[in-house]
Amino acid sequence: MKLCITSTGKDMDSRVDEHFGRASCFMIVDTATMDFEVVSNTAQAAEQGAGISAAQIILDKGAEALLTGIVGPKAFSALRAANVKVYEGASGADSVRGTVEKFNRGEYSEASVPSGGPGRGGRFRGGR
Amino acid sequence: MIGNIMTAEVLTVIHQKPIKTPIIGITGGKGGVGKSTVAINIAESLVQMGHKVSLVDADVDAPDDHILLNMSLQNPMDVTITTPLINDEKCSKCRKCVDVCRMNALFQPRDSVPTLIGECNGCEACILVCPDDAIERGEKAVGKTYMNETENLTLFTGELIPGSEESSFVVNALKARVYNEANDPDIIIIDTSPGTHCNVINALKGSDEAYAVTEPTPLGIHDLDLILKLLKAFQIRSNVILNRSDLPGVKEQMDSVIKEYGTRISAEIPMDDLLLKSYVEGIPVVRMYPESESSKRILRISEEIAGKYIK
Repeated sequence: MKLCITSTGKDMDSRVDEHFGRASCFMIVDTATMDFEVVSNTAQAAEQGAGISAAQIILDKGAEALLTGIVGPKAFSALRAANVKVYEGASGADSVRGTVEKFNRGEYSEASVPSGGPGRGGRFRGGR
Repeated sequence: MIGNIMTAEVLTVIHQKPIKTPIIGITGGKGGVGKSTVAINIAESLVQMGHKVSLVDADVDAPDDHILLNMSLQNPMDVTITTPLINDEKCSKCRKCVDVCRMNALFQPRDSVPTLIGECNGCEACILVCPDDAIERGEKAVGKTYMNETENLTLFTGELIPGSEESSFVVNALKARVYNEANDPDIIIIDTSPGTHCNVINALKGSDEAYAVTEPTPLGIHDLDLILKLLKAFQIRSNVILNRSDLPGVKEQMDSVIKEYGTRISAEIPMDDLLLKSYVEGIPVVRMYPESESSKRILRISEEIAGKYIK
């Protein structure tokens, strides 16, 4: 599966970025082979709609699922419309590699509703 | 800095208006300083002097002039913005609309037509770039304007729908309605919202002069500095009305701000129980207690305005 993990850096040992729309970059990881592609998040500085724009970016890169800390409602709607699965609860204390390993062990479950706040430029932080 | 950006040509365009009626802005930066109280009382004084006045409540987030005048809002008109309606059959899925949208409101799932997910501000860029003519103009209500007509006072009110973000748009629609429907008034008084953001700027555009209402408190002075800076940038002649002028405190700091912008205090309104009583009754103090100290001070400003702007 091509899994997108939000990351603070550009290699597999980088820490996870818990935000989606405002993440530093995206790691599109093949969960079977650990091959990955680094995608910079051009939506990071968007004034509005960073989550929706980020969803478009990872969709274009062929992501089939997203694993991050929290996802706001608009990004969630977009990902759902595109049939991209959403997994939440990734921790900024973990590396991207460690997080993929946890994912492969089935430690994250698919989100059915968004847990993030209204997603206004990161001014609101959803509860976890 | 701002002064350099706005050349004379830009300012001329900004202040363009389709009518010749003089416009006076009542503003002030800080909230709760008495802008609306001053505005309705100046309007009422001018009416008592026999003039025809249009009072414009441009505080669209929380319009309250009608409450202070004990009126219920009448003659509503919807304010709408465009929202894109995408025709599935005409759309070639080129995604130009998604890419052009600065609000990032549109999203295109794989092999599908774009869909509106985020906040659209009605800019219509998507319609402009669509090569398939596949986007139609839908309408989304963002607010209302109202008009209350009495003999010599017409109150125009703008009201944003809670949760909408288009406050400037509602202010512009309100002013357009005033320009269209005001029945040849002698003067237009515009009561702005607090702050110095776009909707205050739009409310003040075209003003011949503005009165910044404030109070002698640290926050009052801080916000006075901001609004005077704004008025200077837009080259709108400014005056200061010092409300609750007998509050103890920081008069000296206020004087230095006023001096810095080369403006002046055109009236001081002391704390006045009679003003408070009239406020509670929903009757302008100049009508209810014309002999009160606050009425006299407001009347003096009104006479000054009438002398300068009404022939």
